[in-house]
Amino acid sequence: MSDLAFTAPKKAFAPAAIRWRTMITIAWRMMFHNKLKMLGTLIGVVFAVVLSNQQAGTFMGLIKKNTMFVDYSGADLWIVSPSTLTLQATKPMGISALYTARATRGVAWAEPLLYAGAAIQLPAGGTEPIQFVGTSAPRFAGGPWNVVAGSRESLMRPNTMIFEDSERERLGGLNLGSVREVNGTKVQVGGITWGLLPFGPSFAFAEYELARRMLRVDQDQTHFVLLGLEPGADPEAVKKAIMSRAPELKVVGREEFRGMIISFLLRRSPIGITFGTSTVFALIVGFVIVSLSMFSAVVDNIREFGTLKAIGATNGDLAKIVVTQSITFALMGSLLGLAAITRIAAAIRSPKLAVQLPPQMLLGTTVVMILMCVAASSLAILRLRKVEPGMVFR
Amino acid sequence: MSASTKRVIDARGVIKEYGDGSTKFRALRGVDFHAHEGEFVILSGPSGSGKTTLVSILGCVLSATSGQVRVLDEMITSATEAELPKLRLAYIGFIFQGHNLIASMTAQENVALMLALRGWNHVDAQKEAARLLSLVELGDKVGSLPADLSGGQRQRVSIARCIAGNPPIVLADEPTASLDAQTGQLVTEVLHNLAKKRGHTVVTVTHDNRIYHFADRIVHIEDGVILDDKKETHP
Ligand SMILES: Nc1ncnc2c1ncn2[C@@H]1O[C@H](COP(=O)(O)OP(=O)(O)OP(=O)(O)O)[C@@H](O)[C@H]1O
Ligand SMILES: [Mg+2]
Repeated sequence: MSDLAFTAPKKAFAPAAIRWRTMITIAWRMMFHNKLKMLGTLIGVVFAVVLSNQQAGTFMGLIKKNTMFVDYSGADLWIVSPSTLTLQATKPMGISALYTARATRGVAWAEPLLYAGAAIQLPAGGTEPIQFVGTSAPRFAGGPWNVVAGSRESLMRPNTMIFEDSERERLGGLNLGSVREVNGTKVQVGGITWGLLPFGPSFAFAEYELARRMLRVDQDQTHFVLLGLEPGADPEAVKKAIMSRAPELKVVGREEFRGMIISFLLRRSPIGITFGTSTVFALIVGFVIVSLSMFSAVVDNIREFGTLKAIGATNGDLAKIVVTQSITFALMGSLLGLAAITRIAAAIRSPKLAVQLPPQMLLGTTVVMILMCVAASSLAILRLRKVEPGMVFR
Repeated sequence: MSASTKRVIDARGVIKEYGDGSTKFRALRGVDFHAHEGEFVILSGPSGSGKTTLVSILGCVLSATSGQVRVLDEMITSATEAELPKLRLAYIGFIFQGHNLIASMTAQENVALMLALRGWNHVDAQKEAARLLSLVELGDKVGSLPADLSGGQRQRVSIARCIAGNPPIVLADEPTASLDAQTGQLVTEVLHNLAKKRGHTVVTVTHDNRIYHFADRIVHIEDGVILDDKKETHP
């Protein structure tokens, strides 16, 4: 009996690695023990993930619609009139900008672009607005893109235009060969694009000269000039070179222009606030659900937590349990939620509504979800600090 | 004094007050208590007399208001709140009235958990847990959840958990209260063996006079004072 030496008691305290492992095991056991409750919490997290991604994704989709033209055009630099705030012609600029650009070192190509609102006459009477684009052959830097019927080159035929597929019905049942009146000029449909539906009316393309006449823009004027750079050319240097020769012009890079368009959108329309609010709301719902279920899980198992404390677990150990559970909920919920939202987004995808789910956003919402779930467990952790180990004797 | 009668617990003048101001209540009013290595002590007394309070203080779960408690060579009454969990891990094994097992963990995991808290690695802890469970004759129940065990079996799991990692002191508060007479006898026998065969110092709180005959000593407490501290004379 006395061979049982009760010595070295100080060494009994487990190192952090063992404590973590133990607490993670307990966390998962407790979590999976009450499957119904776990399912409830999980549904809450999934709901928050789906809703926040859906809102943020729709917002990204709207942004994309607004910058679609800039993205498709592939121009490295844009010459715009100085009062330009977004992709909207304010005041025409002198066509000399085009020649200045073409004469600048580092510029591979430069093309003029007309970009203005116009109206198409419907067969049944009345008109529909279109976003009229005058684009130069043969480079067609200003579109059309995604031509699914007819051909881009049809624009080189006289009085020929290309329209957007998703708006064909609205524009009076357009088909290849249909004849319509746009801004008082009879034109024939030479091609159909797919998916070129910006935030406003759909794009309709005409060759530059035709467009210039239809929009009644003077020969020596244009709306924008698109520039492509030679490989290795420094965009900043080209920008400076053009602006030094024509100080009345403004030259912006592609990313800069995208930024201008986005900030204009956010300032001039409530969509930033609308979608921001609903994304935050989705996160708050998730926060509240996780918070409450973590708290109620702690209350449900309060005796077990008390026992753990009595037999030597510290407040930090119990916090490890709750944090493990909340991270697990966040990860499981994100995984299921992302699987759901990518399916939903694919199912409802159309030129009219394209929910954009860039990987950075999906990763971002997952990180936010984890942080949120950990924050949501703080109420439960505070409750656990108050658990008296002595309670287990009562 | 021989090695086998070493004082493992030595408490002097322990006072415990609950609450403060007008609600202040003195649950222990100067208690002297001691127990030796390998001794099986029963602590008895009426409800509200302070048994649980005393056991909680001895078990480093509660701090005394004043007085001194020494466990082996350590003065636990001078420990801070944060040091108490470490002291519990170092010295104390608990057995509760409700077995207080983790419902979602198997018998083996419940025991291994105690070992892990005491610093055992996973593999060794699992092995030792299985060994301890066969020691309390539950070798075939290692994988069972508490819900699938009888009351007596659960209490035996909690005994295995309590001695996992070999703490010198075993404190049991009404370990037989929720068991039938026969199972209570069996469980008490196991506790008795812990003291006699393994050398743990066992302090058991009980009302159950049917198990008094196991005791080396019965300590009576009433109204927060020790009335009577005598060797049990076996019939
Ligand atoms: N946390 C507390 N706060 C205030 N008073 C308490 C607290 N715990 C116990 N008491 C009081 O201290 C006294 C002793 O309680 P204790 O639980 O130690 O008695 P006990 O002998 O274990 O009783 P029982 O046999 O009913 O378990 C009782 O009057 C009780 O009401
Ligand atoms: Mg009691």
